Amino acid sequence: MEKTSFFKRPAVQTLLASILCAVLGIIIGYIILLFMNAEHAGEGMAAILTNFFKYRIASQTTLMKYMGSFLVKSVPVILCAEAILFAYKAGLFNIGVAGQYTVGIIASLYTSLALGWNWFLCLIAAIVAGAVWGLIAGFFKAYCNVNEVIAGIMLNWIGLYICNIILGLPSCMNQSKSETYDIKDVNPAGLLPAFMREFFGKNEYMTIAIPITVIVAIVILVVLNKTTFGYELKATGHNKEAAKYSGMNAKRNIILTLVISGAIAGMAAGLYYLTGIEHFKIASSVPGMGFNGIAVAFLGGLHPIGAIIAGLFVEYITLGGQYLNTNYYNPQVADLMISIIIYLCGFVLFFRTILNRPGKVTVNANAEPATNTTDNKDKEKEV
Amino acid sequence: MKKKLLSVLLVAAMTATMFVGCGSSSESSDTASSDAATTEEGAGSAASSDYKIAMITDSGDITDMSFNQTTYEASKAFAEKNGVDFQYYKPTEDSDDARIASFENAVTDGYNVIIVPGYLFAGMIANVAEDYPDVTIIALDCSQGDFDGAGMSELPENVCSFTYQEELAGYMAGYAAVKEGYKKLGFLGGMAVPAVIRYGYGFVQGCDAAAVELGNASDVQVNYVYGGQFYGDDAVTAQMDTWYSNGTEIVFACGGGIFTSACEAATKPGVNGKVIGVDVDQSGTIENAYGVEGLCVTSAMKGLAATVDATLTDLLAGNWSNYAGKIENLGIVSGTDPSLNYVQLPTDTWTMENFTVDDYKALVASLNDGTITVSNSTDAMPKTEITVKEYDNIH
Amino acid sequence: MEDYVIEMLHITKEFPGIIANDDITLQLKRGEIHALLGENGAGKSTLMSVLFGLYTPEKGVIKKDGKEVKINNPNDATDLGIGMVHQHFMLVDIFTVLDNIILGSEPSKFGFLTKADARKKVLDLSNKYNLKVDPDALIEDITVGMQQRVEILKMLYRDNDILIFDEPTAVLTPQEIDELMKIMKDLAAEGKSILFITHKLNEIMEVADRCSILRKGKYIGTVDVKNTTKEELSSMMVGRNVKFAVDKVEAKPTDEVLKVENVCVKSKLHSNDSVHNVSFNVRAGEIVCIAGIDGNGQTEFVGALTGLDDISSGKITLCGEDITKKSIRYKNTHGMSHIPEDRHKHGLVLDYSLEENMILQRYFEPAFNNKGIIKKAEMRKYSDRLTKAFDVRSGQGPRTIVRSMSGGNQQKAIVAREMDRQHELLVAVQPTRGLDVGAIEYIHKEIVKERDAGKAILLVSLELDEVMNLSDRILVMYEGEIVGEVDPKTTTLQELGLYMSGAKRDNRKEAK
Repeated sequence: MEKTSFFKRPAVQTLLASILCAVLGIIIGYIILLFMNAEHAGEGMAAILTNFFKYRIASQTTLMKYMGSFLVKSVPVILCAEAILFAYKAGLFNIGVAGQYTVGIIASLYTSLALGWNWFLCLIAAIVAGAVWGLIAGFFKAYCNVNEVIAGIMLNWIGLYICNIILGLPSCMNQSKSETYDIKDVNPAGLLPAFMREFFGKNEYMTIAIPITVIVAIVILVVLNKTTFGYELKATGHNKEAAKYSGMNAKRNIILTLVISGAIAGMAAGLYYLTGIEHFKIASSVPGMGFNGIAVAFLGGLHPIGAIIAGLFVEYITLGGQYLNTNYYNPQVADLMISIIIYLCGFVLFFRTILNRPGKVTVNANAEPATNTTDNKDKEKEV
Repeated sequence: MKKKLLSVLLVAAMTATMFVGCGSSSESSDTASSDAATTEEGAGSAASSDYKIAMITDSGDITDMSFNQTTYEASKAFAEKNGVDFQYYKPTEDSDDARIASFENAVTDGYNVIIVPGYLFAGMIANVAEDYPDVTIIALDCSQGDFDGAGMSELPENVCSFTYQEELAGYMAGYAAVKEGYKKLGFLGGMAVPAVIRYGYGFVQGCDAAAVELGNASDVQVNYVYGGQFYGDDAVTAQMDTWYSNGTEIVFACGGGIFTSACEAATKPGVNGKVIGVDVDQSGTIENAYGVEGLCVTSAMKGLAATVDATLTDLLAGNWSNYAGKIENLGIVSGTDPSLNYVQLPTDTWTMENFTVDDYKALVASLNDGTITVSNSTDAMPKTEITVKEYDNIH
Repeated sequence: MEDYVIEMLHITKEFPGIIANDDITLQLKRGEIHALLGENGAGKSTLMSVLFGLYTPEKGVIKKDGKEVKINNPNDATDLGIGMVHQHFMLVDIFTVLDNIILGSEPSKFGFLTKADARKKVLDLSNKYNLKVDPDALIEDITVGMQQRVEILKMLYRDNDILIFDEPTAVLTPQEIDELMKIMKDLAAEGKSILFITHKLNEIMEVADRCSILRKGKYIGTVDVKNTTKEELSSMMVGRNVKFAVDKVEAKPTDEVLKVENVCVKSKLHSNDSVHNVSFNVRAGEIVCIAGIDGNGQTEFVGALTGLDDISSGKITLCGEDITKKSIRYKNTHGMSHIPEDRHKHGLVLDYSLEENMILQRYFEPAFNNKGIIKKAEMRKYSDRLTKAFDVRSGQGPRTIVRSMSGGNQQKAIVAREMDRQHELLVAVQPTRGLDVGAIEYIHKEIVKERDAGKAILLVSLELDEVMNLSDRILVMYEGEIVGEVDPKTTTLQELGLYMSGAKRDNRKEAK
C-alpha cells in the first residue's frame, strides 16, 4: 500500500516544485542577461553562479572568509522564513515579520550601543521586542478579530518609525555618518561570541548566530511535529472549527503563535545586527528581510529544514549579483534578476499543483483497503 | 616636477569643469587626458599594461551627478585614453563589509589600482591596505580623522588620499552671493560629514565677511540645515518650499543629488529662487534639468577629476612615491590664476553681475596671501554678525 | 435490439494501487429512470466522471445511440446532451434564477444579452415539467428544493436528454423528495433518460425502472425494479443481508443525565431567538431524539449545548453539575461526547492523519502526552485499537490522511472516537448523514449498544426513518421551539410531519 509512486509523495513533490522554481528563476535571469547584453550573458550567469567561489583562485582563506560572510548574511532571512512558516502552520499569515524584525533591530542595537548590555541580554531584548510586536497583532486578531495581515502591515510601519527615532538618538547613531556606531568600538561585550572563526578565514562576523539558526530550525521542527503544542497549532491552522470543537483554546493559540513567530523574527534581527556586520541607517521603508522571508518559506516547502536550504539559495543568488561585470551590466540588473528569482519562489505551490494534475487519486486511493492489506501481508511474507 | 603636475591638474580640472557644465562628456575629457599624457612626456605608455584600474562607488551610484559620477567619468576617461582595463564595482549595501567584499572582488578580478571616492572608505582601507600591499589605493576625501576613526593612524605605502579645503570653496560661494546682493540665503547640506560641514561653515563665514564689508550684516540671514542624506526627497523639498516661500532667495545645495529638492522648490510658480551648486560646475546640469536659465548662480567646486587624472598619470609614469602614504590637503595654490586652484568658482559660466570675475580674482589673491583666513574647524558654527538660523536635520 | 441511448461497455478505470471501475457495463434505455446503486467508494462517482469526461478509462467504450463516442472533457459530454445535477449545487447565490440558468450559454446579439427569449424558454420548460420556478427570484432567497429544480432547468435549457442526478435527495425534506420523484417521472415520460445515483432503497423502489448495482468497483448486476425487493437490492449492494429495523429492547431509563432548562440562543441572522425556551431532559439508558425539518434551530441548539455557540439564557445541567458556562474542553472531559453534524467542518482535521484525529480531544491527557511531547507509539496503538473495534477502513492505516478516506469511514472514525471517550452523554447529530446502508446499520447498532450500556443519548436527525427506528422519545423542534413530544411506538409519520411543519403543537410548555 506504500506503492504511491515516488513522484506522488508530497515531500518529493514539494522538493521538485522548489527545485523547478529555482531553476526557472535562473533561466529567466539568464534571459534577462541575454536581453541586456547577449554576448556576455553566459559569462554573467557564470559569474553569478560561481559567486564567491571565484576566490578559490585568490586563496583558501579568502574563499572561506566569504563563505562565512555568506552564512552570516543568510541567517536573518532564514530565521524570518522560520517565523513565517511557523505562523503559517497555525493558519496565520504573519506578514508582520518585517516589523517584528525591525523592533528586534531597535532592541538589540539600543541595548548594545546605548545601554552597553552584554550580548546575551541584547539578544534576549531583541527576542522579547519581536515577541511583544507579535503579541500586539495576536491580541487584535484574537480579541478584536482584526486580520493579522492588516495589523501586521500597520505594525511594520509603526516599528520602522520608532526605529528611526530611537536608533537616530545620539547615543546610538554616529550623527556624522548617519549610521549606528560600531558595536565593536562602543561595547565589545555586545558582540556575539565567535564561532569557527579560524576555519572561516578569520571572518570576524562568524558568530554563534550560525549554529543558533540551525538549532532554532530543529526546535521548530520538533515543536511542530512532536509536541502537543505543535499538534494544537497545526490543528488550528488546518481547521479552526475542528480545533474549537475539540476544546482547544483558539485565542490563546493565535496569540502564542504570533508571539513565538515574532520572537523568532526579533531573534533574526539580533543575530544579524549583533555580529556587527551591518549598521542601522535611517530608512524610509520597512526592511525587506521579512518579505524575502515569505518567499524563502514557500521555496523551502514550509519545512523548517527546507527553509534553511532555500534561504541559503536566495542569499547565494543575491550575493552573486555583485560579481557581474559592470562594463556589460549595471548593478541594477542583478537586483532585478534576483527580485524575479525570489518572486518566482512564491510560485512553489502553483508548481506543486501542476505536478499534481495528472493524478486525481485522492478520493479513491483507499477504496479497497481490506484486500490491499492482505496483499501486502502476503508480499511481506514472500520477501 | 611639481610644477608639471600642477599644470596637468589645471588643464584637466578646467576641461572636467567644462564637460560637466555642457553636459557632453567623453570628447572633452579625452582631450584632457591627451593633454595630460603629452605634458607628461610620454608617460603612461611605459607600464600601462601592468595596471588595471577599478573604482568602487560609495553609498551613491555612478549617476549621482556629483561625487561618484565625477570620479567615475574621470577614471574611465583616463583608462580609455591609456588603454587600461577599467571597471567599477558597486557594493551590495552601504557597509564596510560590503565595500571590503567589492575590493577583494576587484582584486581577484586582477585590478591593482583601486579608486575610492568618499570618507566612507576609510574603514575599508584600514581593513585591506596592509593585506594587499601590491594594490594601489587612491582615496578621495578620506581625512586623517577618518583614518584615525577607522583605527589606522598612518597610511601604508600603497595608499594615498586627497582632501580638499572645502571651507575655501564655500567661503568664496558665500562671499560672492552676498556681494551679488542676496540677503536671505540658505545652506542645504547632505549628511553632516566633515566635508559638508566645511563647505557649510565656509559658506557662512563668506556670507558674514561680505555682509560686514557691505555694512548690511543686520539684514543678511542664512538658514542652515542638513538633509541627512545625499539625495532629495519629499521631506527635503517640503523644507525648501518653506524657505523659499518665506523669502529665501538662494540656497547652497551641498550634498550629492540633494540639489534636486532645492531646485524643485526654487522653480515652483511664483518662487523664482536660485541655487548654488557644489563639487563641480552644476549650472549646465541644473539648468538643463529644470529648464530655467540662471537657476544655478555659481558652484563651489573642488578638483576631483583633476586629482584623479593627475594621480593616475603620475602612477603610470612611475612616480607613485610622490603620493605613497600621504594625505594631501588640496586648496589654493595660486593667488594670481584662480583656475590653478583645487577649490574655485566656475569663471566660464559666470553669471553674476555685481560680483565680477575680477572681484573673484581679488578674493582668491587675498585668500592666498593670508589677508583673509577661513577657519576649517568643524566643531561649531562660526561666530558671525549676520543671523544664522540652524534647523534640525531633516532626516 | 434494445434502444439504448447510452452504453458504457466494459469500462475499466485504474488509479495507482486501486481499480476503481473493473469491467463495468451500464446500459441506459431511452426514457427510463435507471438507478445506480452502491456503497460509498463502490465506484459510482468514478463511473459517472468517466461518462462526464473527467476521467479517461483504460479500457472500454462509450456508445451514444449505438455509435461509439469519445468523451475527453465535460464539454464533449454537454455536446452529446449529457447533463448532471451535482450533489452540491453550482449556482451563484446573488444571481437570479434566470441568470443562473443561462450562465455559460448566454443568448446574445452583437454582444448584448437578449434575455427575453431565454426567459420565455425557461418559463415554457418550467410549465411543461411543472417545476414552478420563478425566473426572477434570487438564488439565495429560494429553498434548497427549488435550487435543485433550477439545476434541473439548467440541463433542460441546454436541451440535454440524458440527465444524471447525483444523490439528489440527500438535501431535501420528505415533501420535497416526493415532488422530485414526480418531476423525474414526468421527465422520463417526456422521453428524457435519467441516471439516478443513490443509496436510498426506498427511492429506487418508488421511481426507478431498472437498477444497476456496483460493489467495490465491480459490476454486480442489473435488475428490473418491479421484480425485486429492497432486501435483494441491499444484499446485492452490501454483499450480505441487511436488517432495516433496528433490533432493540425496551429502554430502561434510570437517572437524569442531561437537563436543559429554558435555553435560548440569539440568532445571528435576525432579531428573534433561533432557539427559544427549550427545556427537556435525557436519562441514562434512553435515546431522545430531536426531530424537525432542517433549519429549525437544531444546529443552534446543539451549538449552545456543546459550547460551539454562545448561549443567551437558560441552564444546562450534566450529571447534576451546571455546565452552562463551561468551556468546550471542560464539557469534553466531564462526560459529554459529541458526534458533530458536519464532520468536515467540526469533526475532523482533514489534513491530519487518522491516528492524529483519533486523539483530537485527548492529546493532552497523560496517556498521550509526556511533558509536552506526544507519545506517538501510544497514539498509534490507540488508533489501531479503535479502527479495529469499529472497522474503520483506510488506505494506509493509521497514517492515512483523513481527507482521502471515504465519507463513511470518516464518520465511523468520529463515532469510534466519541464512543470510546469517557462520557455519560452522547450528542449525536445526523450520525448517518450521507452514509450507505451498511454503515448506517452499523452505527445504529452501536448507538443502541451505547444506550444499553447505560449512557444517555441525544440524537438530532432529519431522517424520519432513523428517528422512528432508533429513538425512545421524540421531541419535535419547529422554529426554535420544542412543539411536541411523541412516543415513536404510538405515533405515525403523518403525525410527526404535522408537528414538523408547525401545523400541530402540544401545549405542554404552557401547561407547565
